[in-house]
Amino acid sequence: MESIDKKCTPLKREYDECFNKWYSEKFLDGKESNDCTAVFKTYQKCLREALKEQGLTKMIDDARPAIGSVFNDSDN
Amino acid sequence: ILNQDVDPVTGVLRTERLIMVRQNVPMLVRKIFGGDTSYVLEYSEVDPRKQTLVMQSQNMTYSNLLSVGECITYTPDPENPKHTLFTQSAQLKASGALCRFANKIEDICWNRFQDNAHIGKLGLEQVVSKILAERQAMMMPMTQTASD
Repeated sequence: MESIDKKCTPLKREYDECFNKWYSEKFLDGKESNDCTAVFKTYQKCLREALKEQGLTKMIDDARPAIGSVFNDSDN
Repeated sequence: ILNQDVDPVTGVLRTERLIMVRQNVPMLVRKIFGGDTSYVLEYSEVDPRKQTLVMQSQNMTYSNLLSVGECITYTPDPENPKHTLFTQSAQLKASGALCRFANKIEDICWNRFQDNAHIGKLGLEQVVSKILAERQAMMMPMTQTASD
C-alpha cells in the first residue's frame, strides 16, 4: 500500500519492512525493544509535513477522542 | 502510521493509522460531497501478554453527515484458549442535512457494513498465515541441519 503522499512511500516501505521483521521475530516472542525508532522518525517527519500541506492535521486532532487514541501531536 | 510505540509498563503496542479511501462515485455524489476521497482514523492496541487486539476506527470526512465508529476485538476464547474470539461492533449515525433520510441511510450503510464486515477478519487471517509461513521458512534450515 502506498503512503497518502507519494513522496513518503519509500520511507513508509522501509519502515513497514523493519516493523514487520521486528513484530514477527521479536515482539511476539516477548522482546519488546524496538530497533525501528530511527527509521520511523524519518518516515513520521515526512508524513507530518504532508498532512500539514493537505490540511488534515485539525481533522485528525478532532477525531482522536472518538477512538480512544493516547497520542497527540503536540509532542513534536 | 501516524504514531506507534510500545508502552514501557504494559508492553502494549499502540498504533494510530490514517487510511485514505478513494472510491468511484457518481459525479452527482461527488458534487454533493465535494470529492471522492475520504479519510478514516484508526487506533489499535496489541497486548502480547494478554494476547488481545483491539481496534477502533472513525470516519473523519463527512462526519457531519454520517458518522461511522467501529470497534473490533480479538481475544483468546475463555472456553478454549487455543481459539480466538472475534467481536465487531459499529455505530452508524446519520445527521445534519441527511436527517430527513437518516433511518434509510443508516439502514443502507448498515447492510453494506454487514456485507463487508467479514473482509477485515479475512484480511487478518491472511496476514497471520503469512507470518506463520515466514516463521516456518526461517525454522527449516535449523531442522535440516539437525537431521544431518
